[in-house]
Formats: sequence, structure tokens, C-alpha cells
Amino acid sequence: MTPRIIAANLVVRLRSFYREKSAMFFTFAFPVILVLVFGTIFTRPEHLDFDLPVQDLSRSAASARLLDALTTDHTFRITPVPAGVDAAQYAREHKLNLVLVIPEDFAVREAKRVGARDPGVSVPLTYVHDPSSTSVSTKIQALDAIVAAINQKMTGTPPFITLVPASILAERYRFIEFFVPGIIAMAIMTSSLGNALNMNAELRQKGILRKLATTPITRTDWLVSSILYQIALSVVSTVAILIVSYAVFDVRLHVGFWLPIIVVVEVIAFVGIGMLLTPLAQEAESASAVGNAFLFPMMFLSGTFFPVEMMPAFLQSFAKLLPLYYVNEALRAAMIFADGPATLRLTGVAAGFAAIVFLAGTLKTRWDGEA
Amino acid sequence: MRHDIPNPDHAIVVEQLSKRYGALLAVDNVSFTVAKGELFAFLGPNGAGKSTTAEIIETIRAPTSGKVTVLGMDVARSKAKVVRRIGVLPQGFSSFDRLTVRESLSYFAQVFGSDADVDALMDLTHLRSKANALFNTLSGGLKQRLGIAAALVNDPELVFLDEPTTGLDPHARRAVWEVLKGLKERGKTIFLTTHYMEEAELLADTVAIIAKGRIVATGSPARLTEQHADHMRLTLGSSDAATPALIRKMGFEPTRTSDESLCVKVDDADDVRAILGEIERAGLSLRNIDVRRPNLEEVFLKLTDESRTDVAKGGPG
Repeated sequence: MTPRIIAANLVVRLRSFYREKSAMFFTFAFPVILVLVFGTIFTRPEHLDFDLPVQDLSRSAASARLLDALTTDHTFRITPVPAGVDAAQYAREHKLNLVLVIPEDFAVREAKRVGARDPGVSVPLTYVHDPSSTSVSTKIQALDAIVAAINQKMTGTPPFITLVPASILAERYRFIEFFVPGIIAMAIMTSSLGNALNMNAELRQKGILRKLATTPITRTDWLVSSILYQIALSVVSTVAILIVSYAVFDVRLHVGFWLPIIVVVEVIAFVGIGMLLTPLAQEAESASAVGNAFLFPMMFLSGTFFPVEMMPAFLQSFAKLLPLYYVNEALRAAMIFADGPATLRLTGVAAGFAAIVFLAGTLKTRWDGEA
Repeated sequence: MRHDIPNPDHAIVVEQLSKRYGALLAVDNVSFTVAKGELFAFLGPNGAGKSTTAEIIETIRAPTSGKVTVLGMDVARSKAKVVRRIGVLPQGFSSFDRLTVRESLSYFAQVFGSDADVDALMDLTHLRSKANALFNTLSGGLKQRLGIAAALVNDPELVFLDEPTTGLDPHARRAVWEVLKGLKERGKTIFLTTHYMEEAELLADTVAIIAKGRIVATGSPARLTEQHADHMRLTLGSSDAATPALIRKMGFEPTRTSDESLCVKVDDADDVRAILGEIERAGLSLRNIDVRRPNLEEVFLKLTDESRTDVAKGGPG
């Protein structure tokens, strides 16, 4: 191994990368864009508030009190629906996913229940909703909770059972905190595997390997420079993702010594996989297809975008065979939960995998004209 | 024939070299030597085994059997030492697309740990004006010249050029020839693989012709031509009916060509002078005269055709 040759290779690869604008975009900008887009879409604000269209057919003091009660915790902003329209038709025409209907006899029934203390009287509040809407269930749950509170208040006795939240996290944990470690892992994986695969296929196809085989460069020199190159790209990519995440979403993540260790382990693992896949990519053009066939299932099944617990049991079992799963889990254990033992265990699994595939990839890589 | 004690005058010694790919015997028991300081042209039709032989000598491929000694070192045992003392332009040379000419040469120099004068190399290969051009913007000829310059960064004693002019236009080809002449003047030993006979005839001190994996002839272009080529050809544009009879009377056998000219095989310039003198004395008219010396291309075609015929008759393959 010759440091001079490794340095020369590293400079060549970084220089080539710098001049390849599309590679720059997909390595650095694309993960940042994903963080911005998905972070914006899925990160919920501290306090949820919704518009609640209400058709008040009662138009009484009692219904006015109910509307006040519905807006007490500021979850809903009441918007009136004309009394003379069909609520379902109105919802369809105005693209509303929930309309609450206060019946005409609301005041009468309230008087019977509260004034005459008749426990057999109840008031059905109809909610007209669009079941195909993804957000309507959240609104209905919020409405249920408020109505339950109103009912409980009307009984005049405190509840017997109450729920007290206690988080396993020291700090609040939002989707973006879950998402950022996944995106860091995804960016490193795509860059490491893609570059290893594309570079090796291109070297072979263009005959550069034949020229390099007649120089003092050894296979070890080339592999070490490849690893260093990928680590350099991964560090820049990770820093860019973190800066944007902190600046835009004010993420609360633990960035400690585990992060660089996991980054290096992941680079070695996916450069190794790239070397193993190289024989399948006979031409540089097919390298991307081979890489994508491997990357996409890994990306979606390893808990990058959503927890693997959301998947069916058999897919969860499959996910645990994938190296990216352990990298994702290790990053989250370190960055969200600050759980040292769990991080050590998960990083150890990923490192074991990295060692095996890198060794196999090294043995599989031919460093001569017959490669 | 073994060379246990390396001959210091030999840059390359190839002994009983064979290379097999499965059932295909690409190189079949080949032996030859290349003297230091000479330009050795290795000729052969496509698929004859010339690039495979060259790549074994260049340390790119491993032989199936036989021995190759380069600058006194066994390439199988001393690859690391050999590559430091040779320069190679592989067939279809390519470099990193997004490096400039200057950066490519600096990279290869750094890899060799050489303090090569990159500017001087660009001057030698007439690339100075393209110093800052990216590799992927260069024409085929410029890429080949960069490949030659890259093969010289370690100031090698022995330079391998594998088909350096294949696919180049006549101007680019001549530009590469000028570079080769410059290398030869600097005393470099050059191993040139080509299938352009004109190139070999113009540049080479020694030529080896390989066909079907076997060496079929070795020697200087002049000697090979003398040994293997047919007679000189005298072509006469004559419409006089008496001319063929006159030539026959002198002991030659004229034949009619497609354009009604007369073609006569002659041994030397004296025969040409004698025939022309007789025609003049007989008062016969001539429209045009053309004398063709035998060349390497004829030798090549003859020897490689013979090789094909041998194979067709059940000879070595």
C-alpha cells in the first residue's frame, strides 16, 4: 500500500466528482431535498388545529354553548354551514371531509337531560365525513375527545380512570427526528454502492483498468482510495443533511462519536456490495440498473422512510436480513435515543456484515487485464 | 531454446509462450526476441494473437505456459519491478473522462512516483495546446497521443504501443508516426503492435508476423520482402498488338489486366530497362509505365494466407 498512490487516486476521483454536476446533485442536494419535502409534509405542528364546518339546525343558546365548548381548546375553528342545505351534498361540493350537524331539537333534548335530569335522553350529533380522506380520522378522534370531555363535564363527577403520558424519550420525538437518520443512511448507501459499481464497470468497459494494470497501482491502493473517497462524500452529505435539518426543522438529535463510526461501517459495507455486484454489470450502462434493483428494495424495506413495524410480519423478518436495517436502527439508537448498548449491538451487526461483504468483494475484484 | 543467462542486448525474450482460453489456443508456442533500442513491429490479422501476446509481455495477462523476460526480469515473478521500467499504451487507451490532459499526465506521473516534465511530454506528443482540455472532449488521435505521453511518464526503457493508430484518420496517423520517430531517436525500445503494413514498413527495424497464434516470419521489412515477396511488377499501357509477342520473345510472360494494360513480372531494374529498350527500338508506343516493388503488405497477405491454407488443410490452429 503506497500513500502517494492512494492520495493520487483520491484526488482524481474527487476532482472527477466535482466536475460531474449531476453526481454532485444526487449525492448532496437530493437527500437534502428529500429532508425538506418529507419533513415539511409529515412534520406536524406542536398544536393541531382544523376547520370544523358545522350546520347548526338548532340555532339556540344551547347549540351556541356547544359550539363554544367545541372551540375551547382551539383544536377546531368553527365555520358555519347554511341550515337549508343537505350537509352531505354541501361537503361534496365544497370538498369538505367532515361536517358536524347539530339537530334541530338539540335545545329541547338538552333541557330534558340537564333540566329534568332524565338520563334516558341523548342527543345524536351526526358527522358527515369522507372515509377516503387520510386526515379525517385524526379530526374525528379530536372531535370524539372533545365530545367525551363535554359529556364528562355535564355529569359533574371527575373521571375514575385518566391517562398520564410518560415518554421513553428525554425530548419530544417527531417524524423528522425519525426521518433524518434514515436519509443519512440512504444517502451513504446510494452513493457508496452506486459509485463502487459504476466506477468498476466503467474502468473495465473503457479499458482504463488495462492501463492501470500496467502501473504500480495495486488492488489494495485502489480499494483504500475508494473507501476514503466514499467516506469524504458521506461526511459532506451527512453534514449537509444535518445542517438543513437543524436550520429548518430544529431537530433534536444526538450527534456524537457513534455517527462517524456508523458512517464508516456503512461505507465499507456498501462499497463491498458494489464490488460484489460489479460482475453482474457487464457494461457501465447496465451498472445503474443493477444498482437500482438492489437499492430500491433495500431503501423501502429497511425502515428508511417509515418504521419497519408498520410492515407485515414476514416483511419485518425480511428487513432484519438487510444491512441497511441495522444501519438505520443503529443511527436512530445513537441519534434519537442516545442508547449506547443498543447502538453498539446494532453497529456490531452492521460491522460484521461489512467485513464479510468487503472481504468477499475484494477477493472477487480482479485487478488485471482479464478482469 | 532457453536463455538462462539474460542477454543484455535483449529488451524482450519470449520463449515457448502459449495462452489458452478454454478450447481456444490464442498463442501457440511463440518465441522471439526484441533487441534494445529497436522498433519491433508485431503484425497480424485480427484475432491472430498479437494483442494477447503483447498483453502477456506487458504483464496485463498471465500466460498459460512459457516464459517472458523483459529487461532481464521474468514478468511472472517481477511484475512490480517490470511495470516501473516499461511504458504501455494499451489497445483502445482511455483515461478518466473528467481529467484534463495535464491532470491525466500528472496523475500517471504521481502513480509512478516520477518527476516527469509534463510540459515536455505534451510538447513531444504535440498536445500542449490541449493541456486544459478534458479527456472526454479529445478526438481519437489526441487520445492516442495522450496515451503515448502517459506511457512515457516514468521515462521507460521499453515502450509498448498496442495498435496506436487504429481508427485514426490519415492526418492523425501521421502525427502519431512523428511521435514514434521522436521516441526512436531518443533510443527507446519500442514494441509496436499494428495491422497497418505501411506503418511497420516505415517505422520498424524488425517485424514479426503472427497468424493463428504462431509466428510465421521474423526479420527486417526489407529482408522479409526479399525473402517472401513475389517479383517486381512492370505494367505497360500499350495498344500495339506486337508488344506482347516482343516481351514473350525476351523470355517474360505478360498478362492482360482489366484495363487492357500489360503486366510483366520481372526480377530487377535491369529487366525493366531491357524490356523498355526493346519496345523503343521496335518503335512501339506506350501510354504509361508503372513499376511496383514488392512490399510488406504482399508478404503479410501471402504468409497469413498460407497460414489460413495450412489450417484449412488440417495444420496447426
